[in-house]
Amino acid sequence: MQREKITNRILTVVFTVLSLAWIYPMVMILVNSFKQNTAITTGTAFNPVTAETSAGIANYISALTKQGFAAAFGYTLVITLTSVALILVCCSMCAWYVVRVNNKFCKALYYLFVFSMVVPFQMLMFTLSSLADSMGLNTPYNICFIYLGFGAGLAVFMFAGFVKTIPLEIEEAATIDGCSPVQTFFHVVLPIMKPTYISVGILETMWVWNDYLLPYLVLDSTKYKTIPILIQYFRGGYGHVELGPMMACIMMTILPIIIVYLLCQRFIISGVVSGAVKG
Amino acid sequence: MAEIVLKNIKKIYPNEKTKKHRFGKKAKEPEKKSNLQVTDEGVVAVQDFNLTVHDREFVVLVGPSGCGKSTTLRMIAGLEDISSGDLLIDGKRVNDVAPKDRDIAMVFQSYALYPNMTVYENMAFTLKLKKVDPKVIDEKVRSAAETLGITQYLDRKPKALSGGQRQRVAIGRAIVRDPKVFLMDEPLSNLDAKLRNQMRAELIKLRHKVNGTFIYVTHDQTEAMTLGDRIVVMRDGFVQQIGTPQEVFNHPSNLFVAGFIGMPQMNFFPATLVRDGASYQLKTPKFTVDIAPDTCKKLAASGVDAAETDVTAGARPEQIELVAPGEKGAICGKVVVSELMGATVHVHADVNGSEFVLVINTVDFDKSKGSSFGIGDDVWFKFEPDAVHLFDKETEKNLIQA
Repeated sequence: MQREKITNRILTVVFTVLSLAWIYPMVMILVNSFKQNTAITTGTAFNPVTAETSAGIANYISALTKQGFAAAFGYTLVITLTSVALILVCCSMCAWYVVRVNNKFCKALYYLFVFSMVVPFQMLMFTLSSLADSMGLNTPYNICFIYLGFGAGLAVFMFAGFVKTIPLEIEEAATIDGCSPVQTFFHVVLPIMKPTYISVGILETMWVWNDYLLPYLVLDSTKYKTIPILIQYFRGGYGHVELGPMMACIMMTILPIIIVYLLCQRFIISGVVSGAVKG
Repeated sequence: MAEIVLKNIKKIYPNEKTKKHRFGKKAKEPEKKSNLQVTDEGVVAVQDFNLTVHDREFVVLVGPSGCGKSTTLRMIAGLEDISSGDLLIDGKRVNDVAPKDRDIAMVFQSYALYPNMTVYENMAFTLKLKKVDPKVIDEKVRSAAETLGITQYLDRKPKALSGGQRQRVAIGRAIVRDPKVFLMDEPLSNLDAKLRNQMRAELIKLRHKVNGTFIYVTHDQTEAMTLGDRIVVMRDGFVQQIGTPQEVFNHPSNLFVAGFIGMPQMNFFPATLVRDGASYQLKTPKFTVDIAPDTCKKLAASGVDAAETDVTAGARPEQIELVAPGEKGAICGKVVVSELMGATVHVHADVNGSEFVLVINTVDFDKSKGSSFGIGDDVWFKFEPDAVHLFDKETEKNLIQA
């Protein structure tokens, strides 16, 4: 008992330190976003805000108005919503099919999905950009199909893990009650899988919202900027960086995601556990 | 309500293709996992199943795990394909008809209630899919709920119910459908012992209220005996015997059925049947039993001619009576175990290597003619005259064919 208590205490201290280490950069950005540009240098970055260095909310206003933040926010929102919706709908159905019709093709398909999580994005990005151009998938309104391809691996893996825990008898009862496979999915399977939908949805949202590379490679940057790309635009020519507005922009980017995550936190953990352990 | 006919039903689970090793090595033989027949085509789960279930009859399929009873039920339901044979419901061949069109309702072992719906929605689901008028649905659901005593749970979700309540909801879901056939797959197995006894009695009451055709699967012979109009005993995919509970109990067709039906199990011992003209005697190294005249006639009629036949004899514990020590024709055994069940005592006595179980009423203790039941004590007993069952040693079939 004594040993357990000591172990617990040590672990608490270790994890507190780690948590602080993780939060620290964000807090720094938050603090610096209220400073004037000149006050954010390598030397003074860690100083707190004082009356002289404070820029008030000027940075935020500048970030919002200078580079078309509203448009970028709009595009990012569209891309995220369409991609996540597509992933949730397609991957859940695919996972259910793969698990229930357990023939050789489905097994091969499942392993392919899992393997696709291993392949790094960098291997594909060159061919991807030319392919996206030729297929016309280079606007914010249809880049969701590319996100579907990349996000399917994790989504199918997690959904499949959860579907395996649904007793087959419930679906058999639905069949006897008169459901076609489609009706079985929507009336019986989908409601049971709600927690997994939420957790997969949040993970995919976090990924798509913050994604820089894919929109940068595929979208025409002059026409369609997403927020991560926009942040880069605070780097002017000749290496001059407007750090203040950039910090403000970063804060405004991560704030929605943090709020969504905090609201849905417990669903993520339960979803990942049930998906991963049973997988 | 309907008549169901199963003709030569067979179910084969096809073999997975054995992998060919490289360099011409022979592939490993698939392990034999059970006693089921393994043919070239695959594992035969159900062999040559023939049965006619009459309208409004309650038929119980009973047997040990892996005997094919659940597989047969699922074939009737349409959840498994029938490899060969015909399934007819009301004269119509339904082998290829989808489950929802067979007009059947099934109660699963784990109840299979939809967890996201309330009890009311669970019971109304099938009617809702058929787009029945909501008022009609309401009427049917409430009447079924009243029959089963679950009206107060209609707004609850399954996770807020106990096992017995969930089981009633599952049955209610079946009743609401008003099907031709009720199929039940071990519905009482997930309940605790006391609740199981209660629900068994309730099922009997329910059966008379609903008055439908029931096909019930269980591994518990007590359920089979109490619930069934007729019992089908199965083993390793084969049907062993079909008959009323009384027939199966009094005239088991083979050793397996004799041992499976009846609690405690029938006592078996090796013996030799000796024929002496028209009368027979059962001889063992330690004792001899005269066979009753009625049974002798039946044996003769069944063509048991040989002077000596090796048999496995059986005697039910309830049909063994205590006698005074040393009485003529009595068998002496040494008590090995004595189990007090309350109103009766189960005494296990060893006779020449064979263990006999006797069921003795505790009220008989004082009149037990001097014998007691401590371990190592002698106990003297006799079979009731017509109590002995005789089974061929090799074929295990009852010598007396009905």
